[in-house]
Amino acid sequence: MTTAKIKRPFAPRLRAFWASDLAWSFRHSPVAFASFIFVCLLTFCAIFAPLIAPHDPFNPATLNLMNGFTAPGTPNAFTGESFVLGTDDQGRDVFSTILYGMRISLFVGFAAVMLGMVLGITAGLVAGYRGGWTETIIMRIADVQLTFPAILVAMLIFGITKSFTPVEYRDQMAIWVLILAIGLSDWVQFARVVRGATLVEKNKEYVQAAQLVGRSGLAIMVRHILPNVLSPVLVIATISLALAIIAEATLSFLGVGAPPTQPSLGTLIRIGQGFLFSGEWWILFFPACTLLALALSVNLLGDWLRDALNPRLR
Amino acid sequence: MKTLISTALAAVICATAAPAETFRWAGITDPQTMDPHAVNSAPVTSFLNNVYEGLVRRGKDMSIEPALAESWEPIGDGEGWRFHLRHGVTFHDGSAFDASDVIFSYNRASNEVSDVKGWFAPVAQVNMVDDFTVDILTKAPNPIFPDSIANWMIMDAGWAAKVGAELPDKENGNAATQSANGTGAFILSDRQPGLQTTLLPFAGWWDEANHNITKATFTPIKNSATAVAALLSGDIDLINPVPIQDAARLASNDEIKVVQGIEARVIMFGFGHAADTLKYTDDAGKPNPFQDVRVRQAVAHAINVPAILQTIMRGNAEPASQLVSPAMRGFSSTNAARPAYDVAAAKALLVDAGYGDGFSFGLKCPNDRYLNDESVCQAAVSMLAQIGITAELDAMPVRTYWPELREDNFDMYLLGWSPGTFDHEHPVRFLASTPNAEKKLGSWNFGGYSNARIDELLPMIQSEIDDVKRQAMLDEVTHLYQSEHAYVPMYVQPLVWGTRSNIELTQRPDNFLILRWITMN
Repeated sequence: MTTAKIKRPFAPRLRAFWASDLAWSFRHSPVAFASFIFVCLLTFCAIFAPLIAPHDPFNPATLNLMNGFTAPGTPNAFTGESFVLGTDDQGRDVFSTILYGMRISLFVGFAAVMLGMVLGITAGLVAGYRGGWTETIIMRIADVQLTFPAILVAMLIFGITKSFTPVEYRDQMAIWVLILAIGLSDWVQFARVVRGATLVEKNKEYVQAAQLVGRSGLAIMVRHILPNVLSPVLVIATISLALAIIAEATLSFLGVGAPPTQPSLGTLIRIGQGFLFSGEWWILFFPACTLLALALSVNLLGDWLRDALNPRLR
Repeated sequence: MKTLISTALAAVICATAAPAETFRWAGITDPQTMDPHAVNSAPVTSFLNNVYEGLVRRGKDMSIEPALAESWEPIGDGEGWRFHLRHGVTFHDGSAFDASDVIFSYNRASNEVSDVKGWFAPVAQVNMVDDFTVDILTKAPNPIFPDSIANWMIMDAGWAAKVGAELPDKENGNAATQSANGTGAFILSDRQPGLQTTLLPFAGWWDEANHNITKATFTPIKNSATAVAALLSGDIDLINPVPIQDAARLASNDEIKVVQGIEARVIMFGFGHAADTLKYTDDAGKPNPFQDVRVRQAVAHAINVPAILQTIMRGNAEPASQLVSPAMRGFSSTNAARPAYDVAAAKALLVDAGYGDGFSFGLKCPNDRYLNDESVCQAAVSMLAQIGITAELDAMPVRTYWPELREDNFDMYLLGWSPGTFDHEHPVRFLASTPNAEKKLGSWNFGGYSNARIDELLPMIQSEIDDVKRQAMLDEVTHLYQSEHAYVPMYVQPLVWGTRSNIELTQRPDNFLILRWITMN
């Protein structure tokens, strides 16, 4: 009986959502559906990595160097152990490192997009609503930042922040520094879109009504304008997620991102690249495929969302 | 970033299709300086052996042969050595070479601020007899002295005074860091640190030139896969080292030759002996467990050297028991056994020492100096974890690694040592003697290992002429540092160079690339 009680207020909303255009479009787009399932699956694997992974690659006490360079699916010549996707030079199970690496990649991606989104929405709302000097300053900063490729900005921020961190904490801080660097390089997209939408919304009657009633600027921005500018933000956020995951992988590949003690997919690819010529292809291949699949499915999902939310394309 | 630069650079090299006699080679480490007295490290001395020369030099078989000195003889009853200098030698800038340059180079290289001052520990005095005769007086009879100065390079006194490089400057650098004026077969024509260094043959060289190189460029390529790709595509004529994992594949390529040998370099772990407390991790400030010999012995038993050789080194290296390899003079064959891999024994030793619950510490490691150095350190971290001690690995490029070690910022560290004299006395002097700046001893003994008996034996070894007695003393020294586990020697590093098949060269066991022995067909 209790379940029925909880379900009752929820069911109509669910049904309304099911009947909505967005859900209809989702149900009728096999690409979106497949990507969604795939992203969910990868996220699930990443979150529950400690339960799924057959080995804990970051507990050095469990590693056996003699397992190094075991090919996928074949038993090791010395220890007789077998690994689904093989092992790397240290005898770490590649499948397990991918699961743990994806965790870091997804976490950094999500957190960086969140940071960029919060910063960008705030800056965009303030710039669009306040106008004048505030807008000029914020949007000029955004323009200047846009003239640099995002990856360079991220490297710059990463380098500066790293030089301020004491050596002992660098490895622990690296992930947070990475989030900060990617987030800060990412806010401009959000700010520009939100500002544009805010400029449109701010002259509508409901905003003017709210101003007449005497609501504060902050309340109008957050309670009235923000909900109405969110749908383009959702699209950018999804696409940004794919970009952030790629940016993180790029930084880590270049050796300035996630440290080897907390390898992300990019770090794994960098490690694997050293064995590309020697025939141990699996150390590079599987992490690279995972990154490709992850970024592609998030991107496809973002594309679908953009089309679905675009009234002109319906 | 470096990778990008190197790749871009490789592209540029490719685009400017150089004539066949331009010899392009690549290594992982860029020589930090062009000053032969500022950094005593193989990438520097190896590179500068092409530009500068010493009184003596090493031949293709490592034997000592005359260079700037035509001949030499002992003075009296072991008081020192008299060197007769070569006439008609000029430096690259055209100024003449004479005894004053030797005196100047001695004062420069033995100065307090020099990194090579340890070479002159046995020297009492250097006298100029006439313009082409120099007496080097030693504190005690020193039969191997001429063997020990092959890397002592002679710099032009007049040039150094003119450019203001009278003394080496390790930290800030000076004119001699960027430019050079030696007597060697090649002139340093262009130096871009970290990017490219260009050498041109010296037309006025005193010796007969047997190479056919018209221009030589060195490019540091930090990423070994990039270096292999550059060699395969023909953008680079020689890479040193070839990544161990790629040696087999490269050897099977018709256009590539893999030149392989056993290097004189022993790779080992060192400890902070003198430090009273741990420097790193959550245990920082606690008493230093490595002062206890049982803890050091436990580490020695925990490192699975056969596994490292089997996987990371792919069967291309030999295990090491002491600070020198068996091929070196003075190797102690009575102490040739190394501690066995024995996890149970290691754990028991830790319990015995009162560290049954383990501890954590900082392990410093270079990532661009020795073959697969970072991989070896990572493997060590997991091996040490299996006996319950937690190593926090901090791997860095050599550029920052040596300064870190000099400032004692480590609890344990990785070191490779290749004796410049090919004699066991060399690492004893540099690594096992109590550090003593005044006596120029123990200058690479970062951990401050100290044993009074070794300090007492070293001068006796240096002056002993009888080989049997000398070996007996070296055996005793070896036994002392082995039983105290001052270092954990692991293996002798293999020497693997990859060249295009049109290159003829001689690979010297000290891993020096001598350009004058290269011919390009």
